[in-house]
Amino acid sequence: MSLKYESQLREPLVDGDKNYHQVTVDICTPIEVKPSKLWYVGFYISVALLLFGVYSVYREVVYGTGQWNLNKTVGWGWDITNFVWWVGIGHAGTLISAILLLFRQGWRTGVNRAAEAMTIFAVMCAGQFPIFHMGRVWMGFFVMPYPNTRGPVWPNFDSPLMWDVFAISTYFTVSLLFWYSGLLPDFATVRDRAKTKLRKLLYGIASFGWTGSTKHWQRHESLSLVLAGLATPLVLSVHTIVSFDFATSVIPGWHTTIFPPYFVAGAIFSGFAMTQSLLIVVRKVLHLEDYITIGHIEAMNKVIVLTGSIVGCAYLTELFMAFYSQNKYEAYAFFYSRGNLFSPYGWSYWGMMACNVLSPQVFWFRKLRRNVTLTFFMSIIVNTGMWFERFVIIVTSIYRDYLPSSWTVYYSPSIWEVGFYLGTFGLFFTCFFLFAKYFPVIATAEIKAILKTSGENYKDRMTPIEKEEPAEFVHQFAH
Amino acid sequence: MAKKKFVVGSFDNEDVLFPAVKKVRTAGYKIHDVYTPFPVHGLDHAIGIRETSLHTAGFIYGITGTATALGCMGWIFTTDWPVNIGGKPHFALPAFIPITFELTVLFSAVGMVITFCYLCQMMPFVKKHHFSLRATDDLFVMVIECTAKTNVDDLKAFLTNNGAIDVNVQEAEPGWWFGRYDKDQQLIRDTYVQPV
Amino acid sequence: MAAIKEKFEIPGKMRTWSLALIAIGLLLTIIGFITKGLSSEEHERAVFWGTLLYNSLYFMMICNACMFFICATTLAMGGWDATFRRVPEAISTLVPIFGTIAGLLMIFIVLSDKGYIYQWLDSKEVAHSKMIQGKSGFLNKPFFIIWTLLTIGLWSVLGARMRRLSAETDNGQLSYEQGKSFVWRNTVTAAMFIVWFALTTGSVTPWFWMMSIDAEWYSTMYSWYTFASTFVAGMSLITLWVIYLKNKGYLELTNQEHLHDLGKFVFAFSIFWTYLWFAQYMLIWYANIPEETIYFKHRVEGAYRGIFFFNLIVNFVCPILILMKRSVKRNYTLMTFMAVLIVFGHWIDFYQMVMGSISEQHVTLLSSGWLDFGVAALFIGLMILIVGRSLASRPLVAKYHPFLKESIIHHT
Repeated sequence: MSLKYESQLREPLVDGDKNYHQVTVDICTPIEVKPSKLWYVGFYISVALLLFGVYSVYREVVYGTGQWNLNKTVGWGWDITNFVWWVGIGHAGTLISAILLLFRQGWRTGVNRAAEAMTIFAVMCAGQFPIFHMGRVWMGFFVMPYPNTRGPVWPNFDSPLMWDVFAISTYFTVSLLFWYSGLLPDFATVRDRAKTKLRKLLYGIASFGWTGSTKHWQRHESLSLVLAGLATPLVLSVHTIVSFDFATSVIPGWHTTIFPPYFVAGAIFSGFAMTQSLLIVVRKVLHLEDYITIGHIEAMNKVIVLTGSIVGCAYLTELFMAFYSQNKYEAYAFFYSRGNLFSPYGWSYWGMMACNVLSPQVFWFRKLRRNVTLTFFMSIIVNTGMWFERFVIIVTSIYRDYLPSSWTVYYSPSIWEVGFYLGTFGLFFTCFFLFAKYFPVIATAEIKAILKTSGENYKDRMTPIEKEEPAEFVHQFAH
Repeated sequence: MAKKKFVVGSFDNEDVLFPAVKKVRTAGYKIHDVYTPFPVHGLDHAIGIRETSLHTAGFIYGITGTATALGCMGWIFTTDWPVNIGGKPHFALPAFIPITFELTVLFSAVGMVITFCYLCQMMPFVKKHHFSLRATDDLFVMVIECTAKTNVDDLKAFLTNNGAIDVNVQEAEPGWWFGRYDKDQQLIRDTYVQPV
Repeated sequence: MAAIKEKFEIPGKMRTWSLALIAIGLLLTIIGFITKGLSSEEHERAVFWGTLLYNSLYFMMICNACMFFICATTLAMGGWDATFRRVPEAISTLVPIFGTIAGLLMIFIVLSDKGYIYQWLDSKEVAHSKMIQGKSGFLNKPFFIIWTLLTIGLWSVLGARMRRLSAETDNGQLSYEQGKSFVWRNTVTAAMFIVWFALTTGSVTPWFWMMSIDAEWYSTMYSWYTFASTFVAGMSLITLWVIYLKNKGYLELTNQEHLHDLGKFVFAFSIFWTYLWFAQYMLIWYANIPEETIYFKHRVEGAYRGIFFFNLIVNFVCPILILMKRSVKRNYTLMTFMAVLIVFGHWIDFYQMVMGSISEQHVTLLSSGWLDFGVAALFIGLMILIVGRSLASRPLVAKYHPFLKESIIHHT
């Protein structure tokens, strides 16, 4: 058994006077009590948005894609912008759970559950767009490679759009498995505390009969570790493949080799911003400030400034290469369609620059990183900026293609395109509200596992160890 | 399986649990299992269970996925229905890599989770005997199987002396059965007598 | 356990080896200079200077990657590396030295108009290439020289600052406040280093030093790729030195757990390198634009075909298959083998990046490999000598580092 020690210089990850039972109580109580009025208000707004989205989609399915304002060259408009945006957001959860697990960042335990849930809901939202963009959505099963009577006609495995089908569905499946396997022990906790019959029944089913046996924990740890190891390259691959949708083409502004890592950095960036927006509300409403501390928020802000700067570096690299390549079309895309503020879509490029590159730089300052209000505000700015980024990439590159005669008038979305987007917000928040009510929003078992090293009330126990000479410490540890 | 008799000792601190596990084992008792609210590092070695080889299974599922993806795409594009796509070779390896990778991960992850559930006998509607409801909350529950030679009173005293905050004796079914947690169910096969 | 061994004494064998390597290296370099550097054929001269160029760049950048590792773990509040932190610190003392060599070499190449290395220096080529003329705002001598000096200079200065800060942990227990301030100042300096590292290794510098050899070709991924290549090699270098010191009976606080994590880094970043390699290659292959595919033409289909696939086997296939297993990452012998293989593999990678552009038709490693290995021997000899001295000049363990105790009980 290892010694329970952590440097006192590290901020506690669990505040307050906690023991194991208290952790259970704190996290399970929101599930066991009636939700607040605010919850109902939020939930109904989400459902209303969702219904509006359903109607917008109904219009598109029944009357065709003509309901959207896509035109001759802008064949990808809001729909694909929103797809990439949602997929990007869906990267933070797996990143937090997988990459931070491998990098042993202890603070992930407080936020991973909610972030993973967010990931799954975001991917669900993202998936809607390409599906309905197909137009004849009832033919969607054509993307499945199975021996059929149509030739057989197979999907084109050389196409990045086909890679997307595999990437997104794999990502969704693996994220779901990862999330759910982590939930099993916590569902068992809720089940064993349950007072009502219905709750016993449902959480009993959901917990798969988890007992907490040592052997099961051992396998569970192994499973989590391998799933984390798989999810790490997976999360990179997903946004990489999304970037391939653009980068394999020969369209100016799309074909650039830095796209894969830069899309991944952008995805993490927006994902963390969305996690911040949600968790700042959740910790307040569910009284989980002891588990999602200012330290957690600060750590996430550090990731935001890091990834924001990486993205900024990539923007400048692209801009520079537009000059360095001496390619006229690249130069037109970057210096006119995007860089010129007074070109039709110039506003979106500079909006993106302001939101994604400049504004996150405030997080270089510790005081500002630890300011909850500013963080909440910034998280929304960042997500707006990341939406702009996708819009810039898609629309500014294609509204004027190689043939001036086919250049089109200004593309702006129709109400049903906007409605579809709002509808996915509805879906996302409906799911998230249900999650916050019925699921343990914090990984209870994981918090208990770090409680005695990182809990605030256990920090004092480290004092004698801190005072020891290294040699003495080694001596003591050896026994 | 038939019901068996167990002595159940609950601990509220893992630092007390470890020495107790050691003493129980040296005293020759058979630890059926220890139920804990979170994974306690090193406990698996302390009670003497071997390393899991779940990850090896994951590796095998993974290469199955790789082979499936490459095999299918290769066969489809070179033999079953070759199409010229943008002048690329029929077996366009660079273009096959993304799907190959995705299927590797998918097979590995799904296979491992199913294997995990199978090994741990976990599924919706599976029910097991829970020795203490607080094992998923804040107690570390050591369950010792009684044999014909076990002196239950001695064992109970032994556990108490080693820091257990609660000790009791339970007769329980060690396996699993289909059932619901809102009903107090017993395994129907209880009457079955194991041949000696 | 007895007191921690803090004083590294340079073994006689190590000194002999380093001096021998330096002597052989110098000798071969001089022979190379006479037979090739002074040759009347332009191609031969290009081979000589190109060989010096890629070797000096490679060894400088992998040493700098060690400082990057320190700064990255500092910013991530990583504690696990505290027991062997002095090792990457000692390796990074090479940055100013190798930097001087590489810097002088590049400035010499640029000032003496060696157009057969950097295409944009060749007035004949520039005269009929509108493309290169258009780039003169970036590809010009003053900018190249100033940026090179700035890059190497700031790497050295900021690295030295990190090492100076680390010296504070030798003198005695830090109080809570002192520890806080120590961590804070470390974080600030590390952040400065990382920012400068991103602006250099992560973007502008590799364009100058290596990409501009093919002045007409470009890839936005190039710098990331260079970074990944040097970082994974740098991690392997740290692993090698840690294992060496352990073999000699030092670093008793560093154990298999630390080795395991180093192995994870090498494994993970080998895959990361492959990822970048694939993304760059596949996108260029897929779009099939002649201006871009030209770079891979002779590498995949021409003389460099063998090197090209060898590069992938050594740097991707071997690490992924061998390092996947937990027991390998905890095995000193196998880790030594893998670390040597990867340092060599990325040296080959640099070789094809630089020489693949300078000597497109001939793989000089096969025809005159003695020069390549000779120059490499010179750098390796210097590395052994200087890293040995830096290790000996300070305590081997940052004894009062605030996270040392966490590192001692580190468990994978």
